[in-house]
Order: sequence, then C-alpha cells, then structure tokens
Amino acid sequence: MAYFMVVLLDDNRFAKIKGTELEEKVQYMFGGELRCLNVEVSEEMKDKILQEFDTARIDSRGAITDVPVAFLRELFNQVAEKKSLGSEVIEAVLAKSSEIKELAAKESEYLPAPEI
Amino acid sequence: MSSLIIERPLPHGGRLVERVVRDKEAAKKMIKGCPTYDIKPTLHYETGVPVRNVYREIMSICYGFFSPVEGSMKQAEVERILKERRLLNEWIFPYPLVFDISKEDYKKLGVGSGDRLVLNLKGKPFAILDIEEVWEIDNPEELAHKTFGTPEDNPEVVRERFNKKHPGWVIYRSLNPIVLAGKYTIINEPKMRPPFDRFWFPPRKCREEFDKRGWRTVINHQTRNVPHVGHEFLMKNAAYTGDVEPCHGILVNAIIGVKRRGDYPDEAIVEGHEAVNLGGYIKPERHLPTICLWDMRYGNPLESLLHGIIRQNMGCTHHMFGRDHAAVGEYYDKWSTQILWTKGIPSFGFPKPPTDVPYGLSIRPQNMREFSYCPTCKEMAYSETCGHKREKLSGSFLRGMVAEGVQPPAIIMRPEVYKAIVKWWKHFNYPFCNEKYVINKEKELEVDLEDL
Ligand SMILES: [Zn+2]
Repeated sequence: MAYFMVVLLDDNRFAKIKGTELEEKVQYMFGGELRCLNVEVSEEMKDKILQEFDTARIDSRGAITDVPVAFLRELFNQVAEKKSLGSEVIEAVLAKSSEIKELAAKESEYLPAPEI
Repeated sequence: MSSLIIERPLPHGGRLVERVVRDKEAAKKMIKGCPTYDIKPTLHYETGVPVRNVYREIMSICYGFFSPVEGSMKQAEVERILKERRLLNEWIFPYPLVFDISKEDYKKLGVGSGDRLVLNLKGKPFAILDIEEVWEIDNPEELAHKTFGTPEDNPEVVRERFNKKHPGWVIYRSLNPIVLAGKYTIINEPKMRPPFDRFWFPPRKCREEFDKRGWRTVINHQTRNVPHVGHEFLMKNAAYTGDVEPCHGILVNAIIGVKRRGDYPDEAIVEGHEAVNLGGYIKPERHLPTICLWDMRYGNPLESLLHGIIRQNMGCTHHMFGRDHAAVGEYYDKWSTQILWTKGIPSFGFPKPPTDVPYGLSIRPQNMREFSYCPTCKEMAYSETCGHKREKLSGSFLRGMVAEGVQPPAIIMRPEVYKAIVKWWKHFNYPFCNEKYVINKEKELEVDLEDL
C-alpha cells in the first residue's frame, strides 16, 4: 500500500503556495470544495511516524491521520519551504519530533477555537 | 388497512419496566432506617481511571431502556447470559449487569439477602437496591472473556482474543468481587443537566412522543459521533425502508457515558444531531435526537443486540446497522452484526437471528453500507449503487481537519453542525475529549440531584 499524508489548504495556506510549482499539484476534493496536497510517505517513514506518535493511525485509503496538530502545521511549513511533496518533507518534519511532541503535550490541554 | 402495515412493537419482554418512585414522602418512608452506600465509579484494574459508573445502568434499567431487566443480576442469570444470552425469564439479553462492591465495603455494610440498601449519588439519595442474593465473582478475567467471546468458543465472529486494549473487556475485568443482586428502584429522580435534558426521552415518554407526532414506523440511528453528511444521507435513505411508505420518523439515539480520549464531547454530539434538523437537512417533524445512558462495551454483535432492545423499548420499528457496528479494534469480524441479524451466531445462543428465536426481538434490522461523495455523480452516493470512484470520508480525516481549525466544506459537514462543535470547543477549550474532560465528566456525571 502507498502511504500519504494530506495537507489541507485553507485560503491562507493556499496563498502561500500560489504561483509555485506546487499549485499544479493541488487536488480538489468534494466537488472542488476542498483543496489539498498529498505528501508521499515511505514505508520506513510510516513506521517511524507510528512509532513516534502513538495516536497516529492509517485509514482505509492509506492516509496517515490522527497525528498532533503541531505535526500537521510543521508538515505544511516544510511543504511550503521545500516546494516538494516527496519523502524528504516527512524526513524534515520527523527531524523536529521532540519539538512537535512538546507542542503536542500542550495541545492536549488547549487548542484555540476558530472564530466563527 | 394493508396487511403489510407494520405496527409499533411491544417492549422487549412484553411490558415496559418502570421503577421510579415520584412521591417524595413515600420515598422517604421506603428508605427509613436502611443502610446507605455511595455509588463509586468502576476504576480501571491497572490504571485506576474511571471506566464505568453503575448509576447509568440503574437509570437505563429503572426507566425501561433495558426492559425486561429490573436490577442487578443473580449468579444463575449471569451464567445463563454467558452461555446463551438469555435472562432467567427466557428473554434474550447480551450482557451481564451487576452491582459490584469491594470486599471491604461489603464487610463494612454488613448487608445480606432481604436487606434494602440506599444508593447515594453525588451525596444525595438516588435509588434503592432490594438485595435478593449476594455472590462473588471468582475470576473477573474469565468473566470478561466469556462476556465478549473467544476465537475458540465463538469462531463465527471473534477474530482475536480480547485484551486490555478493549474498553468493554476492561470494564468487566475491573469489576469488584462482591455482587449484590436484586431489583433497583429510583426514589429520587435526577434532573438531567443541560443540554442533555432536551434529549431525555425514556421509553414511555418516547412512545408518547411518537403518538403525538403520528409516527407509526420509526427507524433508529445509533450514534456516538457528531454527524457528517455521510451520516445524514445514511439516515435519510435508510428511512425509505418502512412498510407501504417510508418510515415516519428517524430516531437518533446517542449513547452517553464514559468517554475515550479523542471522541467528540457528548454535548457536541447531541447538539450536532439537533443541528441537522434545525438546519432543515432533515425536517424536525421527521427527526428526533435522544440519549440513553450507558458505558459502551463495544461488543459489536452483542452491542447491536442491546441497541435493538433499547430502541424496540423506545418504540422503533426499524434499526440501522453499519459495518463495524459499535466496534473498536479488530476483535470481531467487521460484519459480525450483519451475521447476527441475518443468519444468527449459534455459539452465542442464536441458531437464528434474534428476531427469529423464541423470546426474541421484533425490531427490524436495516443493514446499510455507506454514503460518500461521488465527483462523477456530483452527489453523495451509496457505495452499493454508484459505480464510480468516490471520495471516502473517514472520521479521523475529519477530526484532523477540525483540529487544524479548517472548517469542513458543507458537502462534508453542515455549517450548523460545525457550529455546534465550535460552541463546545470554546466551552471546553478543546474540540475533543481530552483527559480533563474525561475526568471531569465522571465527576459531574449527566445529572444533578435535589435533597429528598
Ligand atoms: Zn457516482
């Protein structure tokens, strides 16, 4: 099975990758209502994610989900910085595992609610 | 009248159990001079975290959700359930339900058969237990295995041996050794706290509500989740089953009880379902969200049997069941519930489906697959009829979206439902159940009690 992680693009994030080569790789889901990028995850990186983050799961499509929000935020940062969706993105995120875990510990107490 | 018309079924066991004394003076007389015991949560046998509160069982028994069960079970009854899933009065029932206390508490209380014990909740008198038998659980681990089944004894559906990763197994494994068996009676009716009060429709009141609304046929939707559009389509389309016309009503019944980290808060679940009808996605005249108090055992086919009993007692004619119904992990075959309701599971005492055995159920199962968005049909499509590649929506994908603060598009989650999530997110400073929520919930519970 090929593994991947989904990076959701709200307007704010979309603006940051607009005009780069990533824009062509944006996928439109749910009738064009949801923009996202799929980041490739190698077998080895998948194992590492599951090992480092015990909440992580793999859904029926092969998407890795239920990682801390701090992980997902860093994932977008790395995608935007590297302008890539390759396996090196996940490697770069995992290099920051301990930092992410620290943020995640606070995250389980408090997550700011969106203003709607 | 067409002979194909389906009438509302009688309660399981033939009559609704109602064991609630509403006259305070009478209640005071009933408990005069009786020993009292403060209800304690069942604590995880290893971690000490609350995993169950027997008060929820007392509520569901006394208000008739579990009819014909009337109390904490005697040893012979528990043994019969484990062998053939039947009560001593013959009616089918999936789980042992007991009032368990520690040996120290038993010694301190000094009660026995024939005694009346007053059960306090949150420091107030709540119910009585008229003790008919005291027995001991010798081996809680064996009880836990027998409750859910094993691959050797139940090869039709059990795929893996149960262990401490299964929250239902942990509940039975964590029981105290002394069981006080006998009937419960609520003598001081608790008040449901908001928002749960709006959704409290015990079986008698629920049946009366169906009468008021003119609902003869009603299909139940089991939930422990905030609804996304896939759930909404499941409900609307399953309701086309009925008799000579689609079901008159859709009853949503949320199981409210001990939570696991990462679940949505119960408050958001009930208001999320309500938002579906307030937003008009399903007319309020056709849709009723309700609750039942129960600490989920996650017993897939066995849980589905309990769900059938609860909803038949509430007056439903139909019940929808999906894949992995009320399951965690891969202990059971993912179609176990469908196997039970279409063929039966002989090793659990069902050579035929629970609707086809003596003293069985009358509610009709409606086994549904799933709805997801099809970009070709440009609509929410049913997995068994749409021939295209659809965009599957997993609950965990949606949770990730919510956690990141991205509002899901309306084709995934209705904005009104999302608003209910955010409302309780602001209240708890967190969109899901975290440790603080879980601990606090077991302290506060869903009810308040006045002085008697
Ligand atoms: Zn299609």
